[in-house]
Parts: sequence; structure tokens; C-alpha cells
Amino acid sequence: MIRWLLGRTLQAAATFALAVLLLFVLMRLAPGDPLSRLVGDRDVSAAEIEQLRRRFGIDQPLPDQLRAFLSGAARGDLGVSIEHYPDRVTSLLAARLPATALLGGVVLLLNFTAGIWLGVRQASRRGSRFDRWTGRLALAAYAMPGFWLGLVLVAFLSLRWRLFPAAQMTDPLLPLDADALTRALDLLRHLALPALTLSLTSIALTMRHQRAAMLSVFRLDFVTAARARGLTEHQVLWRHAWRNTLVPMLTLLGLWLPVLVTGSVFVESVFNWPGLGSLAAQAIASRDYPVLLGTAMLVSGAVVLAGLLADLGYVLVDPRVRPS
Amino acid sequence: MLAHRLLIPALLAAATPAAALQRGNDHGSAVIIMGQEPATPIPTMLSGSANIAVSDLLFLRLARPGAGLSTTDERAFEPQLARSWSRRDSVTIVFELDPRARWHDGVAVTAKDVVFSFARMRDSTVDAQRALLLRYIASVAADGEQRVVIRFRRAYPEQFYDATYHVQPLPAHLVDTLPPGARFAASEFVKRPVGNGPYRWVRREPGRQLELAANPGFFLGAPKLDRLVFLTVRDPEAQINLLLDGSADIFEAVPPVSGPVRLLANPAVKLLTVPSLSVLYLLFNERASGDRTRPHPILGDVGVRRAIAMALDRLNLARSTYGRFALPAEAPVAQAHWTRGLVPRGAAYNPAAARALLAASGWVDRNGDGILEKDGQPLALRLSIPATSATRAIMAPQVQEQLRRIGIRVDIDRLDFPVFIERRTKGEFDLDLSVANMDPSPSGIVQSWSCAGRGGSNVGWFCNPGLDSLLERSIYSQGSGGRYWQAAYARLQGDVPAVFLASPAISIAVHGRFRNVSIRPESMYGDLWRWSVDPGRRISRDGTGATPR
Repeated sequence: MIRWLLGRTLQAAATFALAVLLLFVLMRLAPGDPLSRLVGDRDVSAAEIEQLRRRFGIDQPLPDQLRAFLSGAARGDLGVSIEHYPDRVTSLLAARLPATALLGGVVLLLNFTAGIWLGVRQASRRGSRFDRWTGRLALAAYAMPGFWLGLVLVAFLSLRWRLFPAAQMTDPLLPLDADALTRALDLLRHLALPALTLSLTSIALTMRHQRAAMLSVFRLDFVTAARARGLTEHQVLWRHAWRNTLVPMLTLLGLWLPVLVTGSVFVESVFNWPGLGSLAAQAIASRDYPVLLGTAMLVSGAVVLAGLLADLGYVLVDPRVRPS
Repeated sequence: MLAHRLLIPALLAAATPAAALQRGNDHGSAVIIMGQEPATPIPTMLSGSANIAVSDLLFLRLARPGAGLSTTDERAFEPQLARSWSRRDSVTIVFELDPRARWHDGVAVTAKDVVFSFARMRDSTVDAQRALLLRYIASVAADGEQRVVIRFRRAYPEQFYDATYHVQPLPAHLVDTLPPGARFAASEFVKRPVGNGPYRWVRREPGRQLELAANPGFFLGAPKLDRLVFLTVRDPEAQINLLLDGSADIFEAVPPVSGPVRLLANPAVKLLTVPSLSVLYLLFNERASGDRTRPHPILGDVGVRRAIAMALDRLNLARSTYGRFALPAEAPVAQAHWTRGLVPRGAAYNPAAARALLAASGWVDRNGDGILEKDGQPLALRLSIPATSATRAIMAPQVQEQLRRIGIRVDIDRLDFPVFIERRTKGEFDLDLSVANMDPSPSGIVQSWSCAGRGGSNVGWFCNPGLDSLLERSIYSQGSGGRYWQAAYARLQGDVPAVFLASPAISIAVHGRFRNVSIRPESMYGDLWRWSVDPGRRISRDGTGATPR
């Protein structure tokens, strides 16, 4: 088992290293001037442009840039942002990660609790009006672009009915000495619309997976046996049938876990949520190589790690796939 | 050492008498939306309008241009750190500093600060661009604690402007031990700047917001807006939504066409317009696309450039793109430039004359497809625009259509902003729609339209030594140089290195509860400390408590 785990970890590390190398090279091959935001529409001299290129090391040949990046990365330093100079990439990532993790975590929680519950209910009432309408509504929400649904929710829940703020993560004038409860309530008010948007547009996937998994389990003998033993429907559903759908749901969770660090570019933008998704989008738009590479490393790291955790999850819940 | 120096302001501020913090009922707070992040509002590290706007609230200049933005009439300048000035001779200006001026840590602003700051900003390794702008300053010396003597290498009308506009003094006692470059950028001073302006630093949350608090001891008068929060909001929808739901008070980049209609949803918000220092123009590449050793096969001919200028209905283009928020431009001179009245009228809209000019240059439609040809080559050009610019996306198809009517085929390339800039810098374009955001000085056009500007901002590679000579005379002649400016603009119009299409106004949404509202074209929020709140229209965030520590 330990040998399997070690091999799987090494494999994940190699995948990550290859991804970083590819990202570094591909980013620099993409067209676009990384100084565009700094130069913009103002008058600049050739000397200033040269000075800026020197400052960010982009006047160096590609192998030298790679060497500098790798030696910095080995020390935990991903360099300085071009657009957010003089902020360091690591401090930018650290500042943005909590916002993304919070939003992603809440969405994941809503998605998997409500999605699983609804999927199980749908399967247990297959063909009923509840099954049909829940499925239709969830698919309709799934088909909507997140940013569009976000704007519709803002138009009604924020601008018309004044229930929630239209954007931001906190009230900008919240006193620095506000107590924890005030801060938490303020955060929840601001979290409501982005979390609702992301949950509505993604819950269908979990529901459909759960429904399909339950239906396939319902056909098996042990469910019939459980019913024959006189167990309540609730016990049959949750203690017996649902437990046997955990493997496909773990696969789905493994695919979803990276959302904790990737964020959602469009939803973060529409709600001005200060997460990694919007940071990455800005970095792409301005060709801020160091930030782009930093966010990409975080995302690829999360994907690789989530894959590793999902594999570990299978091993723990299903003895059949446990290595000998 | 620096930590101790930065501790002092906090202690001093904490010791400020409570009476000084008494808030009148016309005090309040303001939340300002910015499209860019003011990450480094430090005078030696300025880039981008957001940094400049915040820096102007933290750091004063010796003086600032008066309401007419004249850069040559030193009597029109308003005192800031300098309470008065006089001339020893045609190349020497003596500034008397206001003895009341203090840094936010309580230390007096002295001539040493001014001398130190000029030395740093004239260093081309610190800021090559600013060093270029300050190249005619020969020396800056202190004469006692409160007097600064600035000597120039030559006499010219904008001496005073150069001595005051490009340099905002830094506190020498906090930064003179910090070498410029990476150590300065990583210093505590950059993280928590100590200025001398009406507002002092409170905090910055990267990517989210920056907060300033009123400096109750500001020597020109205590600000009435106690807290200013600058929100970084990049998404255009979120920017407007925050205004509409009442979370924000001020936004300076309201979209000219859709913005005013959307703002009607919140009657508390007013839309103000202020002349800007921006010009939108259609730039011609005078060199072959991607090869600057050869002239452009089509646009190298001044006849074709003139024809394009005459085929474009600038008045309608400006109106359809900016509504009532722009005026047609005739030269690289914006609404707020003092030389605007000196610009001669350019070629009038005349498609028939444009067709005749093209015919005279040998462009004729031989195959009847509506596109002119010469030597078998169609008159086809590519127009680059940045995909992120909504106004240029509106204008480009109109330019395309107007040029199609005289037989020119234009293909539009909507590019990512970095790709747009890269192509401009490398000369890989035929036409592009550009915006120039300029300083108040008309002399800024040297960088984009002189032979010396090639390799820098002069990306169209235009060069006319005759124009360079006229610009030299405009800038360095005695008096304001009015007639030389007029001749220079006429020469520029004759050579047509670009078609100057529009000078947009700044359209700024401001909550209606503010009084004494004044916006400056060159320093958007430079007068914010004079604003106050109508006591009868205060809202909850105006009472968010005294200045935060």
C-alpha cells in the first residue's frame, strides 16, 4: 500500500513538473507585450521601455528566464508581478486564495449536499412530477452561462429588491474594529449571490450523476433484499443504496475539488469577488507572466492533488480496488 | 530604523486632540470605483491614472496649474507646497516653501525634501521618462530650510511647469537612505507611504481596495470627506451595478453611450462631464507593416492619407461613439489643452474630393468591385483595435464603412490589448485606432510626432524635420509660442500622420449629496479635499465614525 502511495505521489509530482515547464514555455510563445498595461496609452520613450524590460527580466533570453524562474521557485519565490509591481506573486496568491477557497468551498458544500439529496429523491421517485420538474429546472440552470445568470440575479435580488449587495466581498467601509459577528454577517450577505449563481449553474451535474448512480444500484439484489427484510424506505435509500454510489460520486468530487483554488473567472468578475479566477483573468489579459504562471501552477497542483486524493478515496471506500 | 520612523506618525496621529477630529454635519465618506488598481501611488513609481489620482491626494507639488491649465503662464499657477515664487533671472526660479506644510508624521516639509526628490527623479535609472522631461533643469539647490532655487539650462516658457508638475516631493528623512530600485520598491515606505497632502494612508488590500483618511492638520484646510475608499473594480457591469445599488459614490469612466441611460435607475447619482486630456485618432503606419526599412506601399503616399482624412465624417463619428461627451479633434490637442484655440480647422469632410485625390494618386476601380486598385493591387488596409475598448469597437465599423464608400477596403483586427500594443510597438499594422492620454503641456506631442520619438511613442514612424523645427520653436520661443504652435498644428494637418477623430470628455458619475464638487482634467481628485456633504442628504456611510486608525 505504501509503495503504491509513493509511486502515485511521484507520478503526480512528475505530472506537475511537466505542466509547469510547458506553461512557462507556452506563455512566452503566446503573442502580446507583457508591458502593455504599464505602457498603455501614454507617451513613452524607447529608454523607458528598455528600463521596464530590464526590471522584469524579460529582456533576457528564454533559457535564462527559465533558469531564474526555477531557482526562485526552488526558494518559494515566484517573482514580482508586472501589472501589480512591486507586489510579489506569492503574496498576491496568498491574498486571493482565501476568497476563492471560501466561495469554492461554499459552492462545493451546496452542490454536494443539495445535489446529492435531490439526486437521491429523484431516483427514488423516478418518473414522478418531482423527478421531471427538478431535472428540467436543473438542466435549464446548467445551460445558462454563469455570468448571465449572475447579472439576472443582481438585477432582481440586488438592484430591484435590495436583498443583497451587487458586488464586492465585504462592505468597503466596514470598520476595522467591527466584531466577528458583524464581519461574518457582512461576508454572508456578499457571498450569497456569487455562491447562488455558481451553485445553480453546477448543481445539475451532481444531481444527474447521483440519480443515475442510484438507479443503477436500485436494480441490484441487495436493495431488494433490504426491502424484503422490512427496512424503511429511508434506511434502504441512505444506508444501503446510497453508500454503494460513493465511488462514482468520489470521482465527481475529485473533478470538483480544484474549484477550491481555481475560482470562476466570469462569476468572480461580475461580482468583483477578489479571488484567483479574476486574478488569472487579469494576468492573461495583460500577459503578466509571473502571476499567470503562479496561478497556473496552483491550478495544476490542485488538479494533480485532487486526482491523487480521489484515487486514495477509491482505495479507502472500495476494497476491490485496494492494491495488494 | 525605518520602522521607528513609521511608528512616529501612528503615535502622533493617536495623540491628535479629539477636538481636531470633531466632525461637522457636512462631513462624510466617499467610495470611489477605479478600473485599475492604485498599487503604487508613489511619485517615483507612477504609472497609470489610478496611481496618479491617489498620489495627488497624498503628495502635493510645489504648485499646480490654474483652472485654464496654462502651462506657460506662471502667474496662473496655484500655490501648494510653495506659498510664493519669484525669478532671479530668465533661467532661475526661487520657491518659498509654506512653513505650515508638514509630512503626515509631523515633520516639516523642507527644501532638503525638494532637492532630494528632484535629484532622484532626474536620475534616468530611476525613471527614464521623467528624467527626459526634466532634462533642462541644470540644478536644484536649497537656500536655507524653506527656499529652493531651480536653475535651467535655457530660457523657455514652460520652465515653471517643468519645475512644478513632474515632481512631487518625497520625505527625505524617511527615504534618503533607501537606494532606488528593488529595495525602495520593497520598502515599508512604499507599503505605507507618508505624504504631505490632504489625505493620509490607512491601508491597502491588494486587488480589492485602498483606503485614505483625512489629514486633519492639512495646512491648506482640513478635508470634509473623512474617509476615502478606492475600490478596484475591473468588470464594466460590476462598476455600474455598484453605483446603482448605492455601494459606491464616484466612478470616473461611465460608458458614454450606455452609461447615462443605466444611471437613470439611481436618481441619487448625477453625471458630470469635464474636458479631458485625451484624443482618439486613426494612426497611419508610414512604414511597411512589420518592416520599418521600407515606406508603406499605400500609406507612404500623403495623397492617400489626405483622402482618408477627408472621407471620414469626424463630427458624426464622435457623436455616434461618445454621444454628447466628445468634440471632434483637429490635431493631437485635447479639450483641456490651453492650445486648443490655436488649432486651425483641418480638411473638411468631402468624400468627392477624397475620391479625386485617390484617382490623382493612381487608384482606380478597374474591375467594378467597388474597391480601388493600382498596379493590380487592391486598396486594402487592416485596422487594429484593442478588443477591450468599447468605444473603439463602436467607431471601427463606422470608419470601415465610410472608407468603403470611397473605394478602400478595411479589415478590422480586434486584438487582445497586449497583442495590440505589441503590434504597435513592432510596427505590424496599417491603421490603428489609438487613444493618447496626455499631460497638460502641449509639448507632449513631441514624443509621438517628432523624428526623435521613433522607437518610443512615435509608432507610426512619422518624421518631418520641418515640423520638429516648428515644435522646437513653439516650446522654446519667448512668450507662449502661440503662432509657432499654430504653424506646427497646420504642418501636422498637412502631413496627415493620423486623422484626429475626437477628444472625449471625462464622464464621471457622482452621488448628488456631495457639494463643492470639482474635477480636474489633469488630476481627477486633486480637489476632493474641498468637497463636503449636504447635511440634509447624508447617508448611513457618512456616519461611519471618526477617522480610522
